[in-house]
Amino acid sequence: MPLFITKRLLMALATVLVVSVLAFLLVHAMPGSPGAVSLGAGASQEAIDEVNQRLGWNDPHVVQFFSWLGNAVRGDLGISLIDGRSVSADLASRLPVTASLAAGATLVSAVLGIALGVTAAVRGGMVDRIIGGVCGMAVALPAFWIGIIFVYLLAVQTSVFPATGYVPFEVSPQDWAMSLALPVITLAVGGGAFLARQTRASMLEALQQEHIRTLRATATPTWKILYVHALRYASLPIVAGIALQFIQLFGGSVIAEQLFAMPGLGQAVQNSVSTHDAPSVQGVVVIATVVVVAVNLVLELATKFLDPKLRAS
Amino acid sequence: MKHLNSTARASSAVLAGALLLGSLTACGGGSGQTTAKADTGSLTLAVDHDAASFGFDPLRVVGAQRQFFEGLYESLMSLQPDGSAGPGLAKEFSYNADNTVLTLTLKDDVTFTDGSKLDAELVKANLDRRSDPALSAYSAVAKGGAQEIASVDVVGPTQVALTFAKPQPGFENNLTSTTGMIVGKNGVTDSASLSATPDGSGPYTLDPSTVKGNKYVMVKNEKSPEAAKYAFNKVIFSVVLDPQARANALVSGQADVAMLTSNTVDFAKSKGVGVSQIGGTVNTMVSFDKIGKTSPAFAEEKVRQAFQYAINRQALVDALHKGDIPAWNALPKDSPGFTKDLDTKFAYNPDKAKSLLAEAGYPNGLEFTIVAGAQTQTDLQAVQKDLAAVGITMNVKMASSTDEAFAAVATTPLGYAALDWSNPVGFMYGAVLNGFTNVQKATDEQLSAATGELAAAKDEAAIKAAATKLNTRLVESGWMIPLYEALTNQGYNTKKVAPVQFAGTNAYPLLSSYKPAS
Repeated sequence: MPLFITKRLLMALATVLVVSVLAFLLVHAMPGSPGAVSLGAGASQEAIDEVNQRLGWNDPHVVQFFSWLGNAVRGDLGISLIDGRSVSADLASRLPVTASLAAGATLVSAVLGIALGVTAAVRGGMVDRIIGGVCGMAVALPAFWIGIIFVYLLAVQTSVFPATGYVPFEVSPQDWAMSLALPVITLAVGGGAFLARQTRASMLEALQQEHIRTLRATATPTWKILYVHALRYASLPIVAGIALQFIQLFGGSVIAEQLFAMPGLGQAVQNSVSTHDAPSVQGVVVIATVVVVAVNLVLELATKFLDPKLRAS
Repeated sequence: MKHLNSTARASSAVLAGALLLGSLTACGGGSGQTTAKADTGSLTLAVDHDAASFGFDPLRVVGAQRQFFEGLYESLMSLQPDGSAGPGLAKEFSYNADNTVLTLTLKDDVTFTDGSKLDAELVKANLDRRSDPALSAYSAVAKGGAQEIASVDVVGPTQVALTFAKPQPGFENNLTSTTGMIVGKNGVTDSASLSATPDGSGPYTLDPSTVKGNKYVMVKNEKSPEAAKYAFNKVIFSVVLDPQARANALVSGQADVAMLTSNTVDFAKSKGVGVSQIGGTVNTMVSFDKIGKTSPAFAEEKVRQAFQYAINRQALVDALHKGDIPAWNALPKDSPGFTKDLDTKFAYNPDKAKSLLAEAGYPNGLEFTIVAGAQTQTDLQAVQKDLAAVGITMNVKMASSTDEAFAAVATTPLGYAALDWSNPVGFMYGAVLNGFTNVQKATDEQLSAATGELAAAKDEAAIKAAATKLNTRLVESGWMIPLYEALTNQGYNTKKVAPVQFAGTNAYPLLSSYKPAS
């Protein structure tokens, strides 16, 4: 197991490094230089050259990359070309917003999806068909549209939830939960429906296994058969689905962040790309990659833990 | 499909139900709590852009950000409710006989956030930064600018003189906006510090609860004598980019005032909020190339005129900009130069467009490419159909970068922009005759003459006559092909805020003009 973890950690580090190189090259492939971006369209070439010189833009790419990497390892992702603020500090303030959104939406979609999927598989018949139909529709509906409907019904018409904004947890846990409620539900509907379908399929397969029949024959309590043995057997694809949901929601949070005016990474990406703020773009790409790689790593470890055959190997 | 007995089904259903209920409770907070009632001590404005995306240096932004920076900084002159210029940091001003020197007498009791005091040296230090290309507010007064300041001289501790490259009657109006805002000594010396910390003498200071790009919180500046003129103890600028989300924030009580797009006005009104409106921004196709360098056909005035007849403005507004006003005038409807004659003279007439093209030597039409941005693509695609109907093939190319969008002024014959005509003379000199919309250096004697006439006009009748002449020529020459005038809409919670008033024709109300509902 330690060898497995070490290998996977090295793989994860390599992935982050490769993506960092690609992000660096992409930023350099963008038209315009940092000087031109920070000084604007009316700047003289001399002024632009001066800024570029100060930022080391004219150094060889290898030198620039390793300089950036050295700083990044120490937590310094550079400064924004637009407002001169620390990229690390900006992203650190935004990460909790996106992480709360993605984690909340993943949790809600997992609970909903597993509950509905197990119910559909166990109850069958009309219940199964109704859940299947509802999930089919929910998967097809765009998150943006779902969000608009929820806002209209629960914020505009009834004022149950706030329509926009984000309250940090440390300011008020209750307001934090309220500010996350609608965006989380908006993102969770599609994910929950997807997981419900996945859970149903996995449970159907699990319930037909020999060892489940044996357990039934030995009068093992039903809840134990369902939620300990069958669900555990079915859990591998479900766990993979949940992890993928998190990754997808983390990346897709830009929709909810725009609709609900939340200061997360999605909003940062939008701003930095539209203003050609290269260090910010690079910072967001690397942070997002680290999150995705970390989630994948956790997924692999969870899979290893859940599957006795893999664990033995 | 049934795989377990009834006890099993019941068990799974109960657990599923519990999980479902639990998840809904978790995500809903489990209460029917409503949003907090508005605090009468605070005013929340939902705005459509991040005014401080460049940090807190007011000189890095232009007029559209005045309202935001008005909270943090004071200007040399202040914008008055009627749109005129009144005393600000300068309590008095005077011109020399030929309007080439403007002398300002400053207040002597002004303190900045950094503790520094206002004096003539500080004003000079601010204005002497005008050669810095990053300071957009100074572009017109920098060397070569339409209103170039040749030198700034300290006359006395509280007196400073601005010498212009050419006569500038009425220059004091420019000092009501960000151009006139004065930054404290620390901010001027170390301008990088302004990226995170404002250094002004305005009625408010920035509160630490600000979240950059999302929510800017300002609290009363106890050191400012001007603060008493501002009704609310706290002002929050909430950045909500999505138009529908802004309307929702207003209707649901999260914002007290919101900038609304025309297509959300009806929705907002239907929910009982008040809406104040003002025009002023004309969305216009602009002929970049009037000499045929990038497309020979555009050298012909008749070709440019054909565009005026070919475009169905009413259909464009009906389809894409419900609530806005179709425009045949280059200047907005509230301008003294606005004339109904242009509305009828250039009314939609595709046959006339075809005949003009034929007269110009293009009976089979012409083809060119226009560069679009994300905001303009839909409009251009709508116009594309009208032009195709008269034989003009307009290829719409999405700009792959801001650089490409900027470069289009030199590489393509036609562009599209939202033009603010609050200062027609400045705009003509700064952008149309000598600036970015005319990199090919085309000339038009009538336009130059009309602009000069407007600059020199002293009374209302003369201004109207000159402005009308200018407006008419802009359209007849095809230098401007107006499409529609966008209304600026301020929605407000009638229970919390008194009806919003605009300062003259300025699209952004004075921050001091927001008052609690009586």
